[in-house]
Amino acid sequence: MSDELDFDADELVMLRQLFRTEAQDALEQVTARVLAGGTAKPTPDALTEMMRVTHTLKGAAGTVGLAGMVDLAHRLESALAAIGREPSPWTEATADLLVEVADGMRAYLDVATEPAGEAAAEKLRDQIDLIVRPDRRRESVPPAEVEPPPEPVLEQVPDHVPAPEPKAFLRVEPERIDELMSSAGELLFDRTRIERRVQLLRTLARDLARTRQSLRDTLDAEGPPNRGMLGETESELAGQAALLSQTTAALLDEIEALRRTIGELQQGLTRIRMGPARDLMMHAARTLRALRRATGVHVDLRTIGEDTEFDKAVAEQLADPITQLLRNAIAHGVEPPGERIARGKPAAATITLRARQDGNLLVLDVSDDGRGIDTVALRERLVATGQWSATRAQHANDAEVLDALLGTGVSVRGDADELAGRGIGIGLVRQTVAKLGGEVQISSIPQRGTTFSLRLPLSTALAQAMLFKVGGQVYAVPNVHVVDTMLVEPTETTVTFRHEVVPVLRLEKLLGHTSATDRRPGIVVSFAGQTLVCTVDKIIGPREIIIKPLGPLLASLTLYAGATISGSGKVQLILDPAQLVHRAHPDAPAHAITDAASAPLVLAGRALVVDDSRAIREAMTSMLGREGWIVDVAEDGARALQMTKQLRYDLVVTDLEMPQVDGFDLIARLRKDDRFRTTPIVIITSRANPEHRRRAKELGVRALVAKPITRRKLLEALAAR
Amino acid sequence: MDELRNVIVFVLGTTRYALELRWVREVVSLGFVTGVPTAPAALGGVCNLHGTILPVLDVAALLDQPPGPPVRQGDGALVIELDGVVCALRVDQVENVGSLPEHEGAIVDAGGRELTLLDPTALVRRAQEVLTAATAEQP
Repeated sequence: MSDELDFDADELVMLRQLFRTEAQDALEQVTARVLAGGTAKPTPDALTEMMRVTHTLKGAAGTVGLAGMVDLAHRLESALAAIGREPSPWTEATADLLVEVADGMRAYLDVATEPAGEAAAEKLRDQIDLIVRPDRRRESVPPAEVEPPPEPVLEQVPDHVPAPEPKAFLRVEPERIDELMSSAGELLFDRTRIERRVQLLRTLARDLARTRQSLRDTLDAEGPPNRGMLGETESELAGQAALLSQTTAALLDEIEALRRTIGELQQGLTRIRMGPARDLMMHAARTLRALRRATGVHVDLRTIGEDTEFDKAVAEQLADPITQLLRNAIAHGVEPPGERIARGKPAAATITLRARQDGNLLVLDVSDDGRGIDTVALRERLVATGQWSATRAQHANDAEVLDALLGTGVSVRGDADELAGRGIGIGLVRQTVAKLGGEVQISSIPQRGTTFSLRLPLSTALAQAMLFKVGGQVYAVPNVHVVDTMLVEPTETTVTFRHEVVPVLRLEKLLGHTSATDRRPGIVVSFAGQTLVCTVDKIIGPREIIIKPLGPLLASLTLYAGATISGSGKVQLILDPAQLVHRAHPDAPAHAITDAASAPLVLAGRALVVDDSRAIREAMTSMLGREGWIVDVAEDGARALQMTKQLRYDLVVTDLEMPQVDGFDLIARLRKDDRFRTTPIVIITSRANPEHRRRAKELGVRALVAKPITRRKLLEALAAR
Repeated sequence: MDELRNVIVFVLGTTRYALELRWVREVVSLGFVTGVPTAPAALGGVCNLHGTILPVLDVAALLDQPPGPPVRQGDGALVIELDGVVCALRVDQVENVGSLPEHEGAIVDAGGRELTLLDPTALVRRAQEVLTAATAEQP
């Protein structure tokens, strides 16, 4: 058995599972290409491609020790090569045969390690022979031009490796999930925009309350004679201010609920992309094996938490950092065996890879039991390389010194060796982790070892953004709103883009830099039907970014929709396309900018709906809302009376039969109040008899509508005079 | 009777200030500072603090004094947290941390000198006002 393939049983099961997926894909490609050609001989390109995937398949099969599969893939590859040569053995039946072989090999994958596998392989070998020599029906002689298959790299599979249970998987192209993720990311932008406006509303409510208070103070100072009408207005204002602040508080709660839902959506989507940390640990095991052979350093790997779930994309990106950290441990951490024994440690070092979830973070620890990082030597090197001043090195604590290691260009060992680079490696680790929205922590105990902790967010709000530079700083704009890029002349204030004249927004000017005098790149941004071109210093290009909220303090800076953190840990601001459009089209009506989809809303006024049925209240709210009314609701007459004391309404819609204060009672009392003497009132009821109609008329009720309420009935009632 | 307060004493420009320790989450050396164009001088910029966006405020500007020099990487700052708002106050130097008596709204240090006791709630509210006002002024 080769040293390269000392997988343990679990590892082998895992690898074979991966191989099966890969092989299914490869063979499907072969089938697809054959079918695409009908009964005609595949084009040279198609043949080359089929040979390529078959060849890859052969290599992979060897890696996971499936000798039978290696043999079959090898034969298939040779057969494909033969088809490409002249004279070609291609006949009309060959296409069918190829498809049969590809399908047969896919079926073989499931039985490759079982006794039934040999018979299946035998049959496939015959079929492949038939492709190469169509004249030799059913004769199982290996074709002469086929070289002997490579020696099986693994012996017969040990019995104790169970064949993996076939599991039904829904296979989805990753792009589809990415699209959904990106939409979910967009939702976050939208939410931020809404939140910001509500925050402004809240400020407004506070201002209103303050104004009311000063009015109150003035009135109190003036004394009773002047209080009359103004006093009444003041108390009304108080009610309105209170309601406004209540409503904004409720809105903020709802936005919070929205945030949670978006979070759940993102989490759900993320879960689709999740896989156990095992794959990553396998990768580490293989890397360590290679390193062991290359260096001769004896080191064992211990893995903990293989079942911890990781975003597969994240795991893929972590492969390189893990490799780097392993190299680092071997180059810097692990002492020679002699030294280890002298210190009472086992001669073989152990590197522990531990995956775990810590709150909202995924943590991957890479620990060695080596000598630890010599912070004294590291201080000296920081000073020697001119990165730190002697004073700083003297005053910094160990944690800060270790942190410096995460920068670039510092190596713990004096001599830079090939294995671990020049300490730049750790800087790259930090960069990769930062790109994924995480951070790296180092802890080290002298003579006990070093631990690198990669801390990554569990769910990432990923979005596509266009990155660009203005005035030396990098900014981003959500890519969904970027239509194109172009060059803009220095004097142009408008440009023609796709037969349309669009304004030019000089971002360098907006962002407080001197106006440029040269021709510069422009980003064409479109939002809510409005288009503009933003000039920038330099376009960096589209990138996947993690959106971070700016937080409550900066919420009022409307120009920005959020921020992201670059690979090197710098904050980059995300410009809000809505604001860019607003600044380039200042004359455009605000509603067209905020929402192009919905028709402009005419505010009809404030309405109060009184009904003991929640369903009716909701229905009325929605119907009236569509007509431009701001709707408050009350569940009975008593509550309605309370509310009318605080606020004046332009319309009251009430049910008749309600607990405590009924509808007529409510209307009678409202009519006694000067503010409601002539207010339009509409009764909605399921029981309208002549007596009701008479009383309604007496009370100056505008209309009496029979339930069920429809929009038409309601509109007629409102229009009635 | 003067009450003892646990405070952190820092220097900003030529002034010494005291801030109650309970508001201070950490004392940091700032990472790369990203400028925020269109924001008022009270906002020195934003930084990355453990993967979140940290606004850095200029205390002098918030107290209607001439703003200090631009915030730069490596500057010291106190990260404060109150009412769900996390932000940093840039400082020139942290002098000491200790229990000092409060006398009529000011802290008296060991040398008998009085220093301003900052009210972080008022500072944050002021910051919010300044930022909102700056936004409202824009076209």
